[in-house]
Amino acid sequence: MTTARPSKRLGRLSRVSKEFGHAWEAVGFQMAFYTRTISEIRNAFVHYKLEIVRLIAQMSLGTGALAVIGGTVVIIGFLTLSAGAIIAVQGYNSLAGIGVEALTGFISAYANVRIIAPVVAGIGLAATIGAGATAQLGAMRISEEIDALEVMGIRSIAYLASTRVVAGIIVVMPLYCIAVLASFFAARMGTTFGYGQSTGVYDHYFNTFLHSTDLIWSFFQAVMIGIVVMLVHTYYGYTATGGPAGVGEAVGRAVRTSLIAAAFVSVIITLSVYGQSGNFDLSG
Amino acid sequence: MGQVAPATPQRSLTRGVVSSALKPAAAVGGFVAMCLDTFVLMFKPPFAWREFLLQSWFVARVSIVPTIMLSIPFTVLTVFVLNILLIEFGAADYSGTGTALGAITQIGPVVTVLVVAGAGATAMCADLGARTIREELDALRVLGINPIQSLVVPRVLAATLVALLLNSIVSVIGLGGGFLFSVFVQHVTPGAFAAGMTILVGPVEVIVALCKAAVFGLAASLIACYKGISVGGGPAGVGNAVNETVVLSFMALFFINVIATAIGVEAAK
Repeated sequence: MTTARPSKRLGRLSRVSKEFGHAWEAVGFQMAFYTRTISEIRNAFVHYKLEIVRLIAQMSLGTGALAVIGGTVVIIGFLTLSAGAIIAVQGYNSLAGIGVEALTGFISAYANVRIIAPVVAGIGLAATIGAGATAQLGAMRISEEIDALEVMGIRSIAYLASTRVVAGIIVVMPLYCIAVLASFFAARMGTTFGYGQSTGVYDHYFNTFLHSTDLIWSFFQAVMIGIVVMLVHTYYGYTATGGPAGVGEAVGRAVRTSLIAAAFVSVIITLSVYGQSGNFDLSG
Repeated sequence: MGQVAPATPQRSLTRGVVSSALKPAAAVGGFVAMCLDTFVLMFKPPFAWREFLLQSWFVARVSIVPTIMLSIPFTVLTVFVLNILLIEFGAADYSGTGTALGAITQIGPVVTVLVVAGAGATAMCADLGARTIREELDALRVLGINPIQSLVVPRVLAATLVALLLNSIVSVIGLGGGFLFSVFVQHVTPGAFAAGMTILVGPVEVIVALCKAAVFGLAASLIACYKGISVGGGPAGVGNAVNETVVLSFMALFFINVIATAIGVEAAK
């Protein structure tokens, strides 16, 4: 038996506005989760110190197939080596086009510190540790382990999300150092060995334009990217739905979101820290 | 009596080491085998047109927003840093040259890498992994349909095509965004910007960038498909597979980018 029923007033409009409302509400939920995660960091330090230590050990080595190829350290080192090599290849040749290839060392000191090292370290962090955290938390959510934690009286956000954010911040520090060193190393090797520039010329321009304050700001940028990436990834893992397939989708969504967030964080920090001035005196 | 002698610890240790060393080798072998299958079946009829179109639409749909959202900050970042440098040199009129060089040769391919590996490949791996977990691939095999031909080939081609198209979008956003940022924020003369764009960058660079993007799409989708069809092990399995896809495709694409840039620079000479 079918019953006729009058169509709703402004059907399409109400449906669209409802969808928009849901999306808007999701942003609110996300913000609330981030606030709780950050405010529970204190609890994580008080109650779950061991868990933080365990996560740091796990994150720095990676799990499963990723541990076989050397863990997070090797992956981020490899990514920044490739990015630094780009400086040598593209920078040297473009500068040679206008006859100032001697300045490749300057480009390395300038671009590696300001853009490449923090951004690539952030990307590597999102891909390895972040995506791993989403996969772990998503699997826990799907097999109802997070509900079990709540029943046992364990603060699940502090135990799962806050500890991961803290561990991520701690792990990103040495990782950033490796990233910077690897990018410097690759740019120098490519320029001096690959293209045959004399090491003295390279080192002179490199050391002249390498500022320690820039390095500190770049370190700060990497840590900020690390915090944002870990927050995004724990959120998507913690709220995964839809069975085993849903975990995979959550990881994909988390990677997309965190890459965008990392890029915007870099832009905001670069614009606000360096401003219009270059902080270097090229004319002497 | 009748007791089976337990394996000596030494022997089981060797066996453990050997099997753990063989695992990645087996994965590499499986990957190469799947790539060969894909390339052979690519030219064998019937071609899955419907799946190809659906997948192109799927990859484009998941990638378009990340592409736009990633290329804007990267453009601003690079153009900003480059212009500071050029203004310091007293060569602000050449900011068009710098922007074109950055947008076409580096931002285009790098953002394409990030989008193809971070958005396209993850979504593709999650989708294929879910099908594998639900044993849809086995069902296809039972029906006499080769999943490589019906699922992997259209996906690989779709990702290659979409990567090519995305690279064009990134380049256009890079040039447009660079123009707006240089002219309205850093007060470069618009005419000088436009005139400087073609000094270092010509058709060869554009073609090299497009070729790079196509290779990125091909490599990332092959990795994603392999990880997707070899998923196993419960709810954590698909998540881990997607995680490994991101990492491996990032590593592969960054490496390819270095090699392709070196080749492109030589080709442009």
